[in-house]
Amino acid sequence: MKNEYIPFPSQVKEIIQHTDIEYTFRMSFSGDVKPGQFFEVSIPKYGEAPISVSGIGKDTIDLTIRKVGKVTNKIFGHYEGNTLLIRGPYGNGFDVEKFKGREVVVIAGGTGLSPVKGIVDYFARHPEDAVQTTLIAGFRSPGDILFKEDFKDWEKTIKVIKTVDSAPEGYDGLIGMVTKYIPDLPLTDIPNTVFITVGPPVMIKFTIMEILKRNVPEENIWISHERKMCCGLGKCGHCKMDGTYICLDGPVFNYAEGKDLID
Amino acid sequence: MGLDINTKKAKKNAFRIGKVRGEGASRIRVPGGYLKAEILGLVQEIAEKYGNGIVHLTTRQGFEIEGIRLEDMDAINEMLQPIIELLDINQENRGTGYPASGTRNVCACIGNNVCPFANYDTSQFAKRIEKEIFPNDLHFKIALTGCPNDCGKVRLHDFGIIGMTMPQYDPSRCVSCKACIKGCKSLSVDALRMENYKIIRDEEKCIGCGVCVTKCPTRAFTRSKKKYYKLTLMGRTGKRNPRLGEDFLLWTDEDTIVKIILNTYRFVKEYIDPKAPGGKEHIGYIIDRVGFAEYKKWALEGVGLLPETKMKECVYWNGVHFDR
Amino acid sequence: MGYQVSREAADRVFEQLGQDYDVFAPKVFAGEGCFSDTDVIRYGKVNTLDEIEWERRSDYSFKEVLLAVNETLFYFTENETTVPSCGEKKILIFLKSCDLHALKKLDTIYLENGPEDFYYKRLREKASFVLMGCSETCENGFCASMGTNRSEDYDLYLRLSGETVSIDCKDPDLQAYFEKEDGKACDVTPGYVTENAEKVTLPKNLSVDSFAKPIWEEYGSRCIGCGRCNFVCPTCTCFTMQDILYRDNENVGERRRVWASCQVDGYTEIAGGVDFRKTQGERMRFKVMHKIYDFEKRFGYPMCVGCGRCDTVCPEYISYASLIDKLAKEEA
Repeated sequence: MKNEYIPFPSQVKEIIQHTDIEYTFRMSFSGDVKPGQFFEVSIPKYGEAPISVSGIGKDTIDLTIRKVGKVTNKIFGHYEGNTLLIRGPYGNGFDVEKFKGREVVVIAGGTGLSPVKGIVDYFARHPEDAVQTTLIAGFRSPGDILFKEDFKDWEKTIKVIKTVDSAPEGYDGLIGMVTKYIPDLPLTDIPNTVFITVGPPVMIKFTIMEILKRNVPEENIWISHERKMCCGLGKCGHCKMDGTYICLDGPVFNYAEGKDLID
Repeated sequence: MGLDINTKKAKKNAFRIGKVRGEGASRIRVPGGYLKAEILGLVQEIAEKYGNGIVHLTTRQGFEIEGIRLEDMDAINEMLQPIIELLDINQENRGTGYPASGTRNVCACIGNNVCPFANYDTSQFAKRIEKEIFPNDLHFKIALTGCPNDCGKVRLHDFGIIGMTMPQYDPSRCVSCKACIKGCKSLSVDALRMENYKIIRDEEKCIGCGVCVTKCPTRAFTRSKKKYYKLTLMGRTGKRNPRLGEDFLLWTDEDTIVKIILNTYRFVKEYIDPKAPGGKEHIGYIIDRVGFAEYKKWALEGVGLLPETKMKECVYWNGVHFDR
Repeated sequence: MGYQVSREAADRVFEQLGQDYDVFAPKVFAGEGCFSDTDVIRYGKVNTLDEIEWERRSDYSFKEVLLAVNETLFYFTENETTVPSCGEKKILIFLKSCDLHALKKLDTIYLENGPEDFYYKRLREKASFVLMGCSETCENGFCASMGTNRSEDYDLYLRLSGETVSIDCKDPDLQAYFEKEDGKACDVTPGYVTENAEKVTLPKNLSVDSFAKPIWEEYGSRCIGCGRCNFVCPTCTCFTMQDILYRDNENVGERRRVWASCQVDGYTEIAGGVDFRKTQGERMRFKVMHKIYDFEKRFGYPMCVGCGRCDTVCPEYISYASLIDKLAKEEA
């Protein structure tokens, strides 16, 4: 019988530092994986944490990890060539097929960009697969901006609104919450536009309020719930909302179904 | 003919000579403050027949029946007999009341019969001590309290007995909820911390109060099978130098405490000032005079301390000095 | 159809069983209760029938036999993991009807919700269950209201009465142990209670709208978040993962899973400090709705078995039974 709790070693191919505390680990992995799915990653000196797949390559996956507590820079900066123990992928993930041929708006806050980054990557590489793709990405401050190199690539093929909540004087980028940009989004076919939004609970709440104001049908909105997860296997109970286990049935939900999930 | 009464004998017989000529009070000792309710009825009967109908609840957990006529002492002693028997007080001759009053009633907080914090049955231990030491004319004050909260204010007594438990920790039942750590920090001495998700108890700091045990939701922390006590010495109130009793033994047991108390009677007999007014000198002052080292020698005579007991080699008291 | 054997014979059988089975049953742990000079009844290994507490309901349920409070999942070095073995012997668990019903709920989560759980399954597969009847209702129990006062799903039923022991055995493996002894065939029906002092009606019209009821805050404001209700519950199964790094070599350690409580701080807290249920009211609602609403919505039957342990253990005298009864009355 398979012991689902046993992680397997995965080689750290490359480490990309985004901020003082956020790093993307490019890890060896071959197998089916979708954006929005997650792995349980054993972070040395910390323990296991659920980490969304923030990029999918040929035989690699990207895991964007925030350094917390007692975990030192030493471990984070110097792990290339080493292995980490991981298990997964878990969860349902986003189905990009459902978004093809439509207008796609991705709204992400902070590390919420990780689970949707695979979608952005896809439409940035295949802009012709969507009528129009827009990314609204919000960060707390300029120092918190993730995936800086990726933004440069995305800006070439899709519409990108990169904004920060606040910034020091002299910052030349956009300043404001992600919600600020929703009312004026130029959309041609609202009943056919897909909204995908991931981020802190408060951000999701206000973002959806703005989206609904534009008469977008609920079933056109997709969200991903980030919750505490210990097992990823429907056992530990931490991620349950009402009768739904986020790790098994989510984390991606259509808003029409997911809206009734109360913590 | 005037009232002809031997007041020394009357006082020893547990009567108080009052300020109103010919009147006094009958004092009833209740070891551990623990009594059957029927005794209340017997006290009421005496108070209504021979007193003025008023009973004072004394500071040492006894009753004092007010307004009795001193010539009624013998009749009152007859009526006290069922009370003395119900409370199992040592007595020399039936129907003659209390044979001594120097050694005061042994007080106790409510203890573990009722209180969730208490670490032992205070009244039962109080009764055991009473049986060992009474009757005795020497002035001894002993009190017991269930836990280091010291609701019994035992540190104001010659002997203060404070209940302790040695926390037993089973890491395999611990869920790292930190209820014990939070409880110890907010209610006690902050002696617990967590390392690798398990509890580490600072044994030097721990006072054995048992809060960790009552807070633990999984029975990872339980009480030791053995009951432990802290013995504090020579607290007192009074005119010259009131002071709190100081720790002498930590993690000691009942037998040791009883032996030390009995040894102390021998010590006092040896060293009491023969000229002390009414043969009454507080033990603490005797120890102040002869030195703690000498007292300790007497107190520990024939005593085998438990291996886990911690003894203070020397005890120092402060308190307020009005005599300097 | 069952039979009776003498107490002596039963003791012999029990000794024989002990060769092949680790036997777990409710036991009195003297002086290990919450307060001074109080006992606790919880599960432990037993070697004789006399060690078993037959009458009183255990304070903590049987679940810790199958789901250890602390369970080492594996030991690890930097890249290797080793799973600890679990003993050779089979397992025999003595329990009452309410707990036997709770077993089904443990199975639901650990065998049916997502992939099968390796650790649970390897114990579950070698476990047999001995029903202990109930002669009278326990304090706070409302098994009759929940329909868990009887169970037929036992492997063995045992009843001690003086010098005779009545037996009903449904498991051929266990039957073999008894066959060596002379038994008198007779009808043996497990004792069960038909009525409890507590009678509880489950609310029937709960929905997500019930989340907004004031009753949650009413009870939550009394709750101290100690988690006792979860830890004694035979159907609560949550755990948290812990990585322990050995002090002398930080690259070596073990991963454990440890019981968790949805009432205790930290249960929904994620890295970065977001806590999805901060108040005890929300946590109370989460627990109660799970027991009587959303578990049933997902799996088809309610979770709570009405053992009443949570009511008995609560230091703040919060009665879960009374709470759900009030919910039902609000509907009427």
